[in-house]
Amino acid sequence: MLKSERLEYGAFKYDDRIEKAIKEIESNLKSSYNVSKRTIALLLLQEDSEIQEMVRMRESSFSQISEIVKKTKMLFTEPLYYVITVQRQKKVDEIVSKVVYTRRDSKNRLSNWLDKITVQPLTGIPILLLVLYFGLYKFVGQFGAGTLVDFIEGNIFDTYVNPWVDRMVTTYISSEPIQELLAKEYGIITLGLRYALAIILPIVGTFFLMFSIIEDSGYLPRLALLIDRVFKAIGLNGRAVIPMVLGFGCDTMATLVSRTLETRRERILATLLLSLAIPCSAQLGVVLAMLSGNTAALLIWALCVLLVFLLVGFLAARLLPGERPVFYMEVPPLRLPRLGNIIEKTLSRMQWYFLEIVPIFIIASVLIWIGRMTGIFDAIIRLAEPLMVALGLPPETAEAFLFGFFRRDYGAAGLYDMKGSLTWTQLTVASVTLTLFLPCIAQVSVMLKERGLMTTAAILAFIFPFAFLVGYVLNLILNVTGVVW
Amino acid sequence: MSCCHQEKKGGLFKNLLRRNRGDSEASEKQVSKKKMVLVGTPNVGKSVIFNRLTGVYATVSNYPGTTVEVFRGTCRIGEEVFEVVDTPGMYSFMTITEEERVTRRLLFSEKPDIILHVVDAKNLERMLPMTLQLIEAGLPVMLVVNMMDEAQQIGREIDIAKLEQLLGIPVVGTAAAINKGMDLLKKRVVQYVKKRAA
Repeated sequence: MLKSERLEYGAFKYDDRIEKAIKEIESNLKSSYNVSKRTIALLLLQEDSEIQEMVRMRESSFSQISEIVKKTKMLFTEPLYYVITVQRQKKVDEIVSKVVYTRRDSKNRLSNWLDKITVQPLTGIPILLLVLYFGLYKFVGQFGAGTLVDFIEGNIFDTYVNPWVDRMVTTYISSEPIQELLAKEYGIITLGLRYALAIILPIVGTFFLMFSIIEDSGYLPRLALLIDRVFKAIGLNGRAVIPMVLGFGCDTMATLVSRTLETRRERILATLLLSLAIPCSAQLGVVLAMLSGNTAALLIWALCVLLVFLLVGFLAARLLPGERPVFYMEVPPLRLPRLGNIIEKTLSRMQWYFLEIVPIFIIASVLIWIGRMTGIFDAIIRLAEPLMVALGLPPETAEAFLFGFFRRDYGAAGLYDMKGSLTWTQLTVASVTLTLFLPCIAQVSVMLKERGLMTTAAILAFIFPFAFLVGYVLNLILNVTGVVW
Repeated sequence: MSCCHQEKKGGLFKNLLRRNRGDSEASEKQVSKKKMVLVGTPNVGKSVIFNRLTGVYATVSNYPGTTVEVFRGTCRIGEEVFEVVDTPGMYSFMTITEEERVTRRLLFSEKPDIILHVVDAKNLERMLPMTLQLIEAGLPVMLVVNMMDEAQQIGREIDIAKLEQLLGIPVVGTAAAINKGMDLLKKRVVQYVKKRAA
């Protein structure tokens, strides 16, 4: 082994001016740290705020150290962070040139080409639309939410399960309130479990499957690059695509992931947009299923939600103070997803989702039952009825909105249930309002945890009236322009 | 060679909600346990390696930034028992996001017996700066060059022995997703820890 080539601890040297500063700072560091003084010195030179704070607490000579940093900064035209990074990178490039050999490969060219066309706007946007059309609309919307739901709901629940449960309950249980708790219109089995198994399960299952494939293929980071520019306009950067896209799976999880964003300002923006304008997979699926019979209605819904997303993002970005961060993200290669991994991931997500929702659906059924028995339910619905009427909706839709409090998808499923009795205008208005309407209980609890009480309260206080306002305006526009079915 | 068991039970969601809880749990574990910390930029396969070592399922995806929590699990290699810590991705010692800060604080405050710096073989030039920083910091670091299979597919060959020479730290090449190089990795880890103790 060539001893001179080897990089012993500390043997890698920056240029003399930096090394001199390191030495001087090191000699001023008296307390002991878990990492080398050289590292502490380098971080101080780069003015890392957390390390500065730590050293300020521990060293009496902090002012001397600051002097050294100041003096060293004057020696360079570029910031020290940049200088140090560049010098280190030079060393790395030198090492890499000695250990990495590259062959020419045709496979490389294919993936380079794919790389390019997914990121460039001209080709990237059509590809995105194709992914959305086939992945979401065709597979989740039509197959999952249409074919599968029809089959499980129509052929299994409506034909066998519900009549059977109703019969069993009326035969063996004499108390009418208990009968209603378990079966009939709002029962745990006939409503709660039916929503969970017949409407939500197929939709979430197909969505998670599609999402896992897209995720494992490495397409998402490219999407992030593609829409970085749009996001910049609303005060976020491409990195925020991560929580936003995850939000289409589950807004609760996405709110949690918004922690990866750089500034507090971005985290608040992302939380707001997630709770307002990003429908979760179940809600999305139900809306797709509900409106897929009418392309115009679906387009109006999508356009409304998108407009709200951009408008609110844009305005909020103007209102919230703070600097805009720069975007940097590692882009992994496009990969052919492995079937085993996809299945494992889809199942683990479905399991997680199910353990999460079934109890809540059951609790919701019980609460609704209590509400009905005591008359509170009817009272709330009566209170909400004027709101529904203002939106041009039949009073019964208040039920769906009330369900929406418990979970986003529960509300959407409630709406889906009354699909037959509503006009397209009403369905469109209700879908838009319900999409924007309050986030589910789980999401609110994560918001409280991550963003704190004040921020959460402010966000909710904005969303509630805003959702209805948008619904109201949309209804007006649809009626005035005569786009009524 | 290895027998692993789960430390964390309960669903993914529960784990996600148990923010930072793991940090306090660690200190009370028995003294004989060695501590192994996985670090690296997002999406280099830290979580896959963590899963392979501990048998605990941390969400794995081809998407940077999926691990937002510190995950802890246990792994037995031969006679040695390790507490394995999976950290959120970190690009550099100069931290930008809260997640990176979590990782740096963990490196600066806990005294790991070994740090596995996991890097993507396809992107060595972007990842080695942090290796240099870890060496600079005097931390017990071993370099794991992961995704060797993918590097090969795009026509990249890496001379692991030479890299080890140049860096002066142990280097292992792996393809964790297809379970390649994991036995060698475990062997080198034990060797390293034993040598360090002596």
